[in-house]
Amino acid sequence: MKFPYSMLLDYVSTSLNAEEAGDLLTMAGFELEDIEEVDGEPVLDVKVMSNRGDGLSMLGLAREILAKDEAAIPTALYEKAAGRFAQAVPGSFHNPVSVEIKTDDCRRFACRLFRNVTNGASPAWVQDRLKKAGQRPISLFVDLTNYVMLELGQPLHAFDFDRIGVDKIVVRQAAPGENLKTLDGQEHELLPNQMMICDDRLPISVAGVMGGEATEVHQGTTTVLLESANFLNTSIRKTRKQMGFNTDASYRFERSVDPDGVVAAIERFTELLGEPGSAIVDSYPGRRERQPLTLRVDRANRMLGFKVPSHQAQQYLERLGMEVAGHGDPFFVIPPSWRPDLAREIDLIEEVGRVHGYERIPEEMPVGLSTQGGTRGALHNLDRLTESAIRSGFIQLVSHSLRDLHPLDAATPRVEPRSPASPDMAYLRNSLWPSLSDAVNRNGGRDLHLFEVGKVFSKAGDCYVEEREMSFVSIGALLPTEKQGETVPQAEFFSLKGELLGILAQAGWTAEAVLPKATDARLHPTRQASLKLSNGSEIGKVGQIHPDIAEAGRLPLGTILAELDLDVLLCQPQEGISLKPVSRNPAVRRDIALLIEKSIPFSRIRETVEQAGGDVLERQWLFDQFEGQGIPEGKHSLGIALQLRKLGSNLTDEEANQVRETVVAALATLGGTTR
Amino acid sequence: MSQSKEMSEVSSIKDAGLREVGEAASTALLKELHAKYLGKSGLLSLQMRKLGEIRDPDAKREFGRTLNESKAELETALAERMEGVKQGERLAQFQAEAIDVTMPGRPAKLGFEHIIAQTSNKIKRVMGGLGFEYLEGPELEELRYNFSALNYPPDHPAMDDQDTFYVTDEKLLRTQCTALQGRVFESRKPPLRVVTIGKTFRNEAIDRTHNHTFHQVDCFMIDEGVSMAHLKGTLGLFARAMFGSEVKVRFRPDFFPFVEPGVDYAISTPRLFNGKWVELGGAGLIHPNILEAYGIDSERYSGFAFGLGVERIPMMAYGVDDLRHFMENDLRFLSKFQAEYAVN
Repeated sequence: MKFPYSMLLDYVSTSLNAEEAGDLLTMAGFELEDIEEVDGEPVLDVKVMSNRGDGLSMLGLAREILAKDEAAIPTALYEKAAGRFAQAVPGSFHNPVSVEIKTDDCRRFACRLFRNVTNGASPAWVQDRLKKAGQRPISLFVDLTNYVMLELGQPLHAFDFDRIGVDKIVVRQAAPGENLKTLDGQEHELLPNQMMICDDRLPISVAGVMGGEATEVHQGTTTVLLESANFLNTSIRKTRKQMGFNTDASYRFERSVDPDGVVAAIERFTELLGEPGSAIVDSYPGRRERQPLTLRVDRANRMLGFKVPSHQAQQYLERLGMEVAGHGDPFFVIPPSWRPDLAREIDLIEEVGRVHGYERIPEEMPVGLSTQGGTRGALHNLDRLTESAIRSGFIQLVSHSLRDLHPLDAATPRVEPRSPASPDMAYLRNSLWPSLSDAVNRNGGRDLHLFEVGKVFSKAGDCYVEEREMSFVSIGALLPTEKQGETVPQAEFFSLKGELLGILAQAGWTAEAVLPKATDARLHPTRQASLKLSNGSEIGKVGQIHPDIAEAGRLPLGTILAELDLDVLLCQPQEGISLKPVSRNPAVRRDIALLIEKSIPFSRIRETVEQAGGDVLERQWLFDQFEGQGIPEGKHSLGIALQLRKLGSNLTDEEANQVRETVVAALATLGGTTR
Repeated sequence: MSQSKEMSEVSSIKDAGLREVGEAASTALLKELHAKYLGKSGLLSLQMRKLGEIRDPDAKREFGRTLNESKAELETALAERMEGVKQGERLAQFQAEAIDVTMPGRPAKLGFEHIIAQTSNKIKRVMGGLGFEYLEGPELEELRYNFSALNYPPDHPAMDDQDTFYVTDEKLLRTQCTALQGRVFESRKPPLRVVTIGKTFRNEAIDRTHNHTFHQVDCFMIDEGVSMAHLKGTLGLFARAMFGSEVKVRFRPDFFPFVEPGVDYAISTPRLFNGKWVELGGAGLIHPNILEAYGIDSERYSGFAFGLGVERIPMMAYGVDDLRHFMENDLRFLSKFQAEYAVN
């Protein structure tokens, strides 16, 4: 809310300058967003909290200054407003208008008729102040409604009474099929949940939002019907959202307007117009008894963390317009009509604290029973996985969950937000690979090893599924080099597989790569594997990108991708650590040159060696693989090294040879022969 | 006399040895000389055999002493010469093997954490040290956890403060990580200390200071007697861990439906913005309506909550001037944050 400082000074007399008053309001919760000098006078822009509609007026802000600045005193105008302009001259003639309220959404409706008045330009000082408040002067009648709204917070509407034509006003919900052209020239088809001000037949104004064009005041208007009403905030909010605009009136009604200030605003308008009007017709079906709240000062002090003496707490509350009864602890407090936000004791505690000043709250540390801090369980394991990935040389990414379509999207049905502000946030990603792909392309497309932990989204029937994944991309040199012609290992299926198994092992899981049950269409059909734990759980996949997808996504053909399904993985039991005695005896190596059908998976060979090798087989590894010249078609030669060691005594040559022979014999069952 | 003949032979071997050692210019040659004179079948060692041929005990003793002294003398000379020659040889070797240490090192393949993760991990460590457990909630959240469980009145303008991505009437992308509170209150009982960090979403136009997605940290605790002073103390410690030990914290009234009293908090430190107050986030005591809705006795228990944008921390600490950088995954930007700087 923008306003010239002089307008606030009409309501409160203070030695504070505009900046100091702005600071005071800021520390009271009404944040000074801007202050600027306009025509030699400071203009303040104050942000009012959404539960404090009462602060959207000079009167409301003056109350805050009076509560916090002990040196400030109320002006005569403030006293009049606080007294609801009750001393005003009564109307000089009968008001012929009858008001009928047919909806609970209207709490109060009052009006006054002005006859033989002349519209024209408003006084220069009114125009000047409105301009400074960011409003465009229109005409005397309209400007005065806006001026009074700025002073008292009560929206007013001036009708050209002659254009209404009848002396009946009905406040009701719109009927099906009704239309109204609002004074901005827009034609609206009205909905039954929208509240209208009507004549005896048709809507003439959208209640609390905007007047109708047909009954608008104009230069020739001589009879004005001034409306001052109070509407339910939720109803106004719904209507203005449906109609798609926001007015100063709807903004205030949504944040609640004081229902007891309705008549006072008419009196203030009358005073400024300087013309006597009719008697006021006032219908107030929504009047509510205000319930007293209990305030325990002792509890307030405990919650706030400082000590406010009870007489001081009482003063604070009274300065904010509350009626306080009872002496000492507890108080009984009746909040004023303009403070619907004060609903229970804690709200009063906040008021005491706010006026006393939050800067007086000391810093203390919580005491008492603590809880185990940090990460536990699955989230701890996730931290561990992430650390291992970083240790393995992968760079961590964080990318958007919302994105556009991509060739690397998964096949699962996507989730879409309803009205995204732009097409690049049209979908919730169903895979992390598109995000990794974007990062690859953004960073040159070569020699990149990246990973991300994030959520992916899909739909299963009517259910929305949110899953956590960890995905990897590996492209190009595994060892960075700047030297021309230096041969360094490049990313391939087996490099990422090896890294993944290592990362998983460091987080406590032993995994293996197996042929997938169903292939992933984004990956090379014969170069992909499922990752499986020893208990059989499938926890992810790894593979080379499908050449078509690589082309569509502008990625190198040698791009290797992997993903871990963290929702499954993180719940899997980790392998315990089982310690074995460490042998101090020397190891013996035996090699086997195995000639075998290529169709036999290496995993079977490894298992066979493992079983046949027995306890003394400490480690086995594949040190050579060869096919081609000298090797029969369909077969390959594998060089397998066995590292053998005994606990407590040295392994003899004979014993080592024995183990080798046993292993060779076992491999013969797979059709393997030694060369 | 045969004895003196034997003695003079020893002496001439020794002298020859000393001369050769004196002239030897390499460690290799010195090793050879050691073998030649003092080795198992070295010239001096072989003289030992003559000891058996000498009958006269005095002469025998005299010969043995002379032989031992000669061996010792040659041994010492060899060792001294060896020392000198070796030094010279090493010097030559080192000169020949000199490298230009300013030539490039081999680039290492180093992974590193994203700056958001680095900041989040720091928050987890600091809050973890205060007994706050780290938990996470879903990004695609239910309307009720995001709003009504947090004491938002139905159809209240407070919901307009955040432009929301709705997926259905009941499902939305969370606008605040505070949405975790209801989920925790459903399943746990006080005392509670929780910290959560995650993505939050706002359906709004993007510019340097606004993004449709950013990260938020939300901390809350419930226990007996928790007060605004405890909130200020905890926030003060947190802010000093993030921005340095000179940080001061200021509270200002503000409205969030889920806290009462509600404040926004600002920090000031001579290190940043010349000590100007900078708003960091919102905080307050958890609204008793929320406690009661989850069956927590609001007379016995109270709690506090505070939240802030994760990106705010590196933006302020390192002067990052564009929020969009954080989620663009440009390694030229991310690699700047491989180091984590200690502020205290």
